[in-house]
Amino acid sequence: MNKLTSKHRKLAYVIAIIVLLIPVIWLGMPSTGEEGSGGELAKLRVEHELGESTLGDVDPSSASMNFVLLGLRGIATNLLWMDANEHQKKKEWAKLRSTVDSIILLQPHYMKVWDFQGWNLAYNVSAEWDAVEDRYFWVKEGIKFLNEGVTRNERFPELDWKVGNLHGQKVGRSDEWRLFRKFYKVDPDTERFENGPDPEINPERLDNYQVAKEKFLLANEKELKHKQHLQMRMLFRSAPWHAQFDYANAMQREGKFGKQRTDAWDQGFKDWTAIFGREEFISPKGPIVLEWSEPDIKNLAKRDNVSEEDKRYWTGRYQNMVNYLFWRTRAKSESESDTIDAHKSLYDGEQLFRKAEFDEAKAELEKGMALYAKVLNKYPSLIHEDLAIEEGLQAIILWRYIHELKGLKLPDSFPLKPLWIKEQGRVPILESELRQRFGIQ
Amino acid sequence: MDNESVIQISNLTKIYRDFWGRKKVRALNSLSLEVKKGEIFGLLGPNGSGKTTTLKLLLGLLFPSEGEIKVLGQPASNVEKNEHIGYLPEESYLYRFLNAEETLDFYGRLFKMSAEERRERSAELIEKVGLGHAKKRQLKEYSKGMTRRIGLAQALINNPDLVLLDEPTSGLDPLGTDDMKRMILELKAQGKTVLMCSHLLADVQDVCDRIAILYGGELKVMGRVEDLLKEQDETQILTSRLSDEAIKEIEQVVAKHNGKVGTIDHPTATLESLFLKTVQESKERPGQRFVPDTQEKKAAE
Amino acid sequence: MSFDPIPYDLFDALKHFLTVFGSTMFIALIVCLLVGVLTRGVKGIGDVFLGILDFFNQITHLSCRRIWSLSTLTIRESLRQKILFVFIIFAVLFMFAGWFLAGAADRPDLQIQSYIDFVLKAISWLVIPIILLLSCWSLPEDIRLRTIHTVVTKPVYRIEIVIGRMLGFTLLGSAILLVMGTVGYIWINRQVPESVQANLVSKVPIYGEIKFTDREGAPSAGLNVGDIWMHRSYIEGATKARAIFTFKDIDESDAINDELNLQSSFEAFRTHKGNMEKGGILYQFIFVNKDKGLRVDTAPLINKEYLENRLKINRKIMHESEDGKEKVEVDIFDDLVDDNGNLTIEVQCLEAGQLLGMARSDLYIRTPDHAFISGYSKAIFGIWLPMVLVIMLGVTISCFVKGPVAILTTMTIVLVGFMSKEYMAEILSGKMQASGAIEAWYRLITHMNSQTPLPDGPVKFMIQIVDMGIINFLWLCQQIIPNFGIFSNMREYVIKGFDVSWDAALLPGIVTVAAYILPCLIVSFYSLKLRELEAK
Repeated sequence: MNKLTSKHRKLAYVIAIIVLLIPVIWLGMPSTGEEGSGGELAKLRVEHELGESTLGDVDPSSASMNFVLLGLRGIATNLLWMDANEHQKKKEWAKLRSTVDSIILLQPHYMKVWDFQGWNLAYNVSAEWDAVEDRYFWVKEGIKFLNEGVTRNERFPELDWKVGNLHGQKVGRSDEWRLFRKFYKVDPDTERFENGPDPEINPERLDNYQVAKEKFLLANEKELKHKQHLQMRMLFRSAPWHAQFDYANAMQREGKFGKQRTDAWDQGFKDWTAIFGREEFISPKGPIVLEWSEPDIKNLAKRDNVSEEDKRYWTGRYQNMVNYLFWRTRAKSESESDTIDAHKSLYDGEQLFRKAEFDEAKAELEKGMALYAKVLNKYPSLIHEDLAIEEGLQAIILWRYIHELKGLKLPDSFPLKPLWIKEQGRVPILESELRQRFGIQ
Repeated sequence: MDNESVIQISNLTKIYRDFWGRKKVRALNSLSLEVKKGEIFGLLGPNGSGKTTTLKLLLGLLFPSEGEIKVLGQPASNVEKNEHIGYLPEESYLYRFLNAEETLDFYGRLFKMSAEERRERSAELIEKVGLGHAKKRQLKEYSKGMTRRIGLAQALINNPDLVLLDEPTSGLDPLGTDDMKRMILELKAQGKTVLMCSHLLADVQDVCDRIAILYGGELKVMGRVEDLLKEQDETQILTSRLSDEAIKEIEQVVAKHNGKVGTIDHPTATLESLFLKTVQESKERPGQRFVPDTQEKKAAE
Repeated sequence: MSFDPIPYDLFDALKHFLTVFGSTMFIALIVCLLVGVLTRGVKGIGDVFLGILDFFNQITHLSCRRIWSLSTLTIRESLRQKILFVFIIFAVLFMFAGWFLAGAADRPDLQIQSYIDFVLKAISWLVIPIILLLSCWSLPEDIRLRTIHTVVTKPVYRIEIVIGRMLGFTLLGSAILLVMGTVGYIWINRQVPESVQANLVSKVPIYGEIKFTDREGAPSAGLNVGDIWMHRSYIEGATKARAIFTFKDIDESDAINDELNLQSSFEAFRTHKGNMEKGGILYQFIFVNKDKGLRVDTAPLINKEYLENRLKINRKIMHESEDGKEKVEVDIFDDLVDDNGNLTIEVQCLEAGQLLGMARSDLYIRTPDHAFISGYSKAIFGIWLPMVLVIMLGVTISCFVKGPVAILTTMTIVLVGFMSKEYMAEILSGKMQASGAIEAWYRLITHMNSQTPLPDGPVKFMIQIVDMGIINFLWLCQQIIPNFGIFSNMREYVIKGFDVSWDAALLPGIVTVAAYILPCLIVSFYSLKLRELEAK
């Protein structure tokens, strides 16, 4: 073996330490805050905006927790995650919530954690509860949790989008949507919120879709700076305008056919054509706009030096992808009096049916069906969309059912018959849904 | 002198083994010795000769590989015999967070002593070893000498019949050494048996009745100190200072008796006695420089 | 609820202890005899038995005086090592805890839970690690510094040193726990908002036995709705399916203000949406006294999920007689409790197509509450017990290894005992497929999957014999590790507002600790006896 004296050995250690320190200092020296100060890692961090404070709000307890755990936070997070699963399995919801909070303390900038657990609270946990008020409570918990994620992370437009989605889809499209939408404006905890909404969810007492639209708009704004990885950019950016349509649609689902609803459709049409439709999206053949005119195509083709054919082809494809034309037509048709009357008659017919006033219901439905057929004739593109088809089919099913109850013979021809024949495939599912809704055995 | 034997060791062998049971060191090789009641027995030898090993075997801290040990008539592993034994370890292994009083009280409690007895005994011992001024201080603040003293006090707390001292004077200044030697002799006077081991030969010579010298784990010499040191064919004369003529005359007288003069010179005192004298003088006449008994002094007179 | 208060079977536990203890001792004896014969010949056998005798000799001649003296030394040592600094950490924790815990949940009743949880966790996480460090460190340090030389050369049995340490640390720990417990108690009382002070009690439940019948009324195990957590079984609504709870020894003293208090938390499983706006599924209780042929229904109730549904029933119930003509008054305690003192309650789900799930702990009779301190003090005792166990293990282990190793070993045992007891039990129960060590190797090498049975023949026979031996040995090792999970149960009770059950929590805790006393003494006795205290 080597025969170094102790002095030599010590010297070797010192040299080794210094040699090892050089890269440590070169790489790891923290930045003093000035531009270009600090080690290589600090510079890279500034360059790619990876510093804790550039990511979003810094929670001091979270930062100190990470410090205390040194390099073990990954392991700690895993353990907590397993704990959370265990709590969920054993239905200890309060513990689940606090464990999730601890996970977030450790991993505040990991988008998947926020995404998954926000979803988990609002969908899975919520569904475990039996009472609708409790379900709503957990939807709110999910939203609050994601809101927290948004304030801590400025660089994830996805999170804003998810928040919007919870406000919109979860509240407005669940099985319990009627109650959820009611609770959204008047929280079931009436004592605490004084017959108003939970201010953390809905401070201005708006419709859930209006809030969703706001959130989606925030997401769109962030998306201009930070790329999102959720879905195709065009679909992502269409979310606020869809929320506007949903808002209008929800009102008529609830039987509100006044000016507010018509204005909402109007607004929807304007947003869709003037804002969304005029945005440029990049196709394989350069930017296109969805709401186009001949000069637009010509200009774009010229600018990008591609053929007009190509531009036209890709614009068409992109329009199909977001169902652009359908929504354009729908929004436009919804402000016409025929359409409004058709919806109103169909809705009234359904309500009368519910009250078992079958003769009146039959009359209303027939009136509605005739009007609806007229609308579909005028805007044939509507019959490619689920909601529109189902509205018509539903009316026919109820109308036929009344005939059956009364022992009447079905007339050979009736308005909407072409639709009925074309969409026979959807009938059984729709029928069983209606049975449940109206409690028909 | 009573001939009852207090310690009996026969054929004692100790082999240190490593973790795997392989022999590492043969620390003692068939050692046999006997210590009689009332004597001071010294175990001598260079470092690593097996002195401390012997003591630890006697106390049951180590287990013999071969051979037999009887202490106060009982096997070394027997705990009851400790009732009558006092042990001062090589370095005073005491609880550093206790003060002197607490230390003695704690060890006292391990014996069958009443609270009253313990209090009296520890007060007495603290005075005796000269720690009265420091009895409330924690042991971690003690100097080496003070720890040896409290160590001795601890060994004597139960008024033992047999005292085992491992290097009692190591780390002590000459004053302390002198105190220690005095106390050891005092123990003998009280009829106790003392077994001490040391490599400071002068100390052993001063107090021990009998000694044994170990080397490499084997017994080399054993016997009474005077017997071992007496030079049978020499005579030593000590007189007051003589003139050169007088010395010559003496040489002639010696020659006349068929004798042979070895060395004649002026004896020097030991450094130890000089040191002790100095300290003594300093105490009696503080502030003055001590003038040793030398020629200059005489000349001055 | 995560805890299922099953009464502890003391006799079974004792039998189990004797099996484990007996077989361990037997193995140890065989090994000692073998080693004795190998190293010392025939004389070795005698030596082994002398050694065994010595244990009984010393254990019967222990001196309280010396043990006490060593205990006080231990305490003094710890105090002078500034152990009480732990109180500073404790104080700091408590000063700022309020900031972090307040507003953690919107509901004040959950808030109480988190306060109690925090206090109990903080205390145990402070006390147990510190005590663990102390108890593992002190004896090896004593040996390293050789201070032990001055002690063992006094008339002191080595086992007394061990007992003295254990006792000393226990006393010290108890004192610390007492102080912290008191502070914690005051803190909780001050933190809990005025409005929910009434919730700060120790509920005293009586749990029953549960049985199920199927939709035809025949005995069954209840339905499984496919929940991963197999805790609850379900009964189908509007059929003859029932969950039958039988409560033993019920009398008037179990009533609160002449009312029978039933508390339930059932889980609903819907096969169709039904009426969502009612807030829950309808169910009812039926009191059954077979001796008198009485069946008395309660009014339909709405099941609120994951909440405590508290039903107060006046002991006098108006009930329609057999023929349905007249109303008769029945008394719950006089008429409905049967001749053996049992109260039988059937649970029926009233909605067709909906299922109601329950487990034994989901319905209980709430008897008059005890003060909060009653449950709280037992929970503190529930920290004391594992602390004592940790001390015993720590001191014992430190008898034969050095300080750092002792700390690691004890810590490992504690962690394993806390976390993977169940996992190990699962492997060693033999239920897992192809879990034998040799078998697994054989399959690995021959690329055989675990479903294929081993080919018959001597190979299979050998593998099975050896694996059986290994599994039995591992089973024994696993049994030796204490189940620390038992103790955390007690905390659960108090957090959930219950008094700690004697049968289901305290007794098993105490018995678990007690079971380790003798083994710890034996191990530490021999490891010190056979050890030369010189080793560095």
